[in-house]
Amino acid sequence: MKNIRLLLVDDEDNFRQTLAKRLAKKGIPPEQAENGEKALSILEKKEMDVVVLDVKMPGMDGIEVLRHIKKKHPGTEIIFLTGHAATQDGVDGIKRGAFDYLSKPVEFEHLLSKIKQAYDKVVREEEKLREAEFRKKMRQQMATTEKLASLGTLAAGVAHEINNPLAIINESAGWLKLIINRAEMAQMPRKQDFEMALNKIETGVDRAKRITHQLLGFAKKDDSVLVEINFRDMANEAAQLVHREATNKDIEIVQEIEPDIGTIWSDPYQLRQVLINLLTNAIHATGSGGKITIMIEALNGEINLTVQDNGQGIPTENLDKIFEPFFSTKPPGKGTGLGLFVTRGIVEKLCGTIEVKSRLGHGTRFCIRLPRYCEIKEDLDQDERIPFLDNIAKQKGSTQ
Amino acid sequence: MIKIPTKVLLVDDEKDFIEMLSLRLTEVGEKITVAYSGQEALDTLEKADIDVVILDIKMPGMDGIETLREIKKQFPLVEVIMLTGHGSTETAVEGMKLGAFDYLMKPADFDDLLLKLEGARKRKDEQQERIRKAEAKLLVRKSGGIFS
Ligand SMILES: Nc1ncnc2c1ncn2[C@@H]1O[C@H](COP(=O)(O)OP(=O)(O)O)[C@@H](O)[C@H]1O
Ligand SMILES: [Mg+2]
Ligand SMILES: [Mg+2]
Repeated sequence: MKNIRLLLVDDEDNFRQTLAKRLAKKGIPPEQAENGEKALSILEKKEMDVVVLDVKMPGMDGIEVLRHIKKKHPGTEIIFLTGHAATQDGVDGIKRGAFDYLSKPVEFEHLLSKIKQAYDKVVREEEKLREAEFRKKMRQQMATTEKLASLGTLAAGVAHEINNPLAIINESAGWLKLIINRAEMAQMPRKQDFEMALNKIETGVDRAKRITHQLLGFAKKDDSVLVEINFRDMANEAAQLVHREATNKDIEIVQEIEPDIGTIWSDPYQLRQVLINLLTNAIHATGSGGKITIMIEALNGEINLTVQDNGQGIPTENLDKIFEPFFSTKPPGKGTGLGLFVTRGIVEKLCGTIEVKSRLGHGTRFCIRLPRYCEIKEDLDQDERIPFLDNIAKQKGSTQ
Repeated sequence: MIKIPTKVLLVDDEKDFIEMLSLRLTEVGEKITVAYSGQEALDTLEKADIDVVILDIKMPGMDGIETLREIKKQFPLVEVIMLTGHGSTETAVEGMKLGAFDYLMKPADFDDLLLKLEGARKRKDEQQERIRKAEAKLLVRKSGGIFS
């Protein structure tokens, strides 16, 4: 109750000041204004929860002030003070959105309880607004997740279908290469042109293959296996797989794994894929002599898995985009823009979350949180989502 | 050194793929037979002498896994390499559990393919050799029985 921001507007100085003193004693020291214009200029500078507003004032009258407040500060509640027996003014006020009215002479306790009621309403409305905003944000997030998920399914399907024609191209080019390398073909006219073009076909196929295989790495839910995972082994394996690339650039990969981290149940192949994707990106972003750290620690019954580099960092304007499929800042042939997309897909499927923090020129840190155990579920449908939202709303409410 | 050709049966419903892979493998000296479905593969195995089957997992009708089961049941000595156009290694792992020698993802790296072919062929030869020896032992024991 202490922090009610209250504004008292009345042209009768005595009345106003006495009231203000008594309110201050009750723990609600109000701001004061002796006319409508002053009241509005105070509101410009400071938001108020409740305004106690005299109707009869020289200059701008109460009704006029009310109109302005309701337009510019819709979250503020107004209690009207009307002249004795001037009920019509009060009713008018309520019609225009006042919380209530009291007629003069005002009984102090009555006013006090009205102020508190008005304040309660302000709090409730604010909460409603916050909740609505929260719901809107969640809906947007879900829409994005769904969009990406269905895009992922589509992409995986396309990738699969493309592998077959790709294999045909691959075998055809390979066969031709075998033929032109035969002894009897040594004198073949323009042999080098053929060789060159066939090599280009093969590199092209390789590139396409990397994309399709990466897309397919984002396997479907029912393809998952859950086993007890040993983090040390997993980190070692992943580090081993990128070891050569790191050594070539003289990059050190450090592992900091909490000694008694324990195990979790998850999908080992996919978790390893996640680590490899993050490590590869870190290596790409880090210059010679750089350092990459893999950290695994337990936190509140969850596992925190961090990959941190001291590389070039990510510009703020890209932070939103890096998880989108096909977003890449790397030259064609080097990046597919699928690594983080796939990574996030996997992490979410394993009931985890992934976050990124980056400072341009200083480095980047990807942080993954995983529960110790995750029931890999089908997508939540609409009916399951609403109670989940309600729970969050309830939790928020109860902490206030 | 003359290469002893591996007798390979290629099984996939993708005709163009089979045709080109078959030409390429023939070019490096393997002996290739082709089949366009699981059933056709089983029929071929009845008639022809095959060392290794390269088997696509996804085919209409009898799929690769089913075909693999049948092959292992009817022709346990024949080695099988699974081919998958799918990213999921799961099915491939299932194949290995059912006795496949190895698996490859489409489009496969040719050197990789040759290496696995060789490995499969070797395993088959060794297996055959063991069986031959066991049979010989059995024969000696039997004939010993007759004379004693
Ligand atoms: N550790 C990192 N440091 C700096 N930039 C990064 C890092 N990880 C990812 N990025 C940025 O995010 C983009 C998308 O990454 P990713 O989805 O893995 O695709 P790709 O690596 O193929 O470009 C990269 O092109 C790069 O710009
Ligand atoms: Mg990447
Ligand atoms: Mg097929």
